[in-house]
Amino acid sequence: MNRRAMLYLVLLATGLFSTGCYEKPQVVFFEPGEYKGRTDPLLALEATPEQQQRLEQRLRTVQMDR
Amino acid sequence: MARMKFLCDAERCIECNACVVACKNENDVPWGVNRRRVITLRDGEPGEKSISVACMHCTDAPCAAVCPVDCFYTTADGIVLWSKDLCIGCGYCFYACPFGAPQFPQEEAFGVRGKMDKCTFCAGGPLPDNSDAEYAEYGSNRIAEGKLPLCAEMCATKALLGGDGDVIADIYRKRILKRGGRPQSWGWETAYPGG
Repeated sequence: MNRRAMLYLVLLATGLFSTGCYEKPQVVFFEPGEYKGRTDPLLALEATPEQQQRLEQRLRTVQMDR
Repeated sequence: MARMKFLCDAERCIECNACVVACKNENDVPWGVNRRRVITLRDGEPGEKSISVACMHCTDAPCAAVCPVDCFYTTADGIVLWSKDLCIGCGYCFYACPFGAPQFPQEEAFGVRGKMDKCTFCAGGPLPDNSDAEYAEYGSNRIAEGKLPLCAEMCATKALLGGDGDVIADIYRKRILKRGGRPQSWGWETAYPGG
């Protein structure tokens, strides 16, 4: 009896342990011509007029002919 | 909105290769990959010309058009970037690019090439800006810091320009006016000298 209880316990523990290994599938459906990777935080930064101004100022300061 | 472009003035480039070294150092580019190269025409002959070439960040990029997994994206100001997570190393972009910009770090049996690598206009990739992960995979992100590509910024003769295409066109137009003519690095006189 004790051995049977032990067996149930082991089976239960194995079941619980296996559930921990479950990985939620992340399916990304391909659509032609559409980028589905991670979003680049630079995209939001570049849209700001301050950043545009900074880059233009940098170009005029560093690369303009003297 | 600005469109970021590179322009190399063939009259000013002295083939010092400093842009190549700056790029490799700034972005920790792996061995065997050159994101930027200096090409010399008529090497050692009178009329020798050199130009520095990298990804031209095409408006309608052929690399992006042929990519079977669509790993490319273009920023609002025209910088063509890609995700190494999505890249499968098929090499289609390498065949499509007229400038030979996309390169692969490995060459092994069964066509294993590794993930594609090319010039990022010093704008990193789709990872948190200036993070260690971004630097390891794509190199530095100078654009997020308000700076422009190092290759262009450190060019000693200011042959290589990189930034807003309109401003660069202005700089180049003024140079041509000062020189009093168009550069003869290409055109009829170059193809058929004296003809």
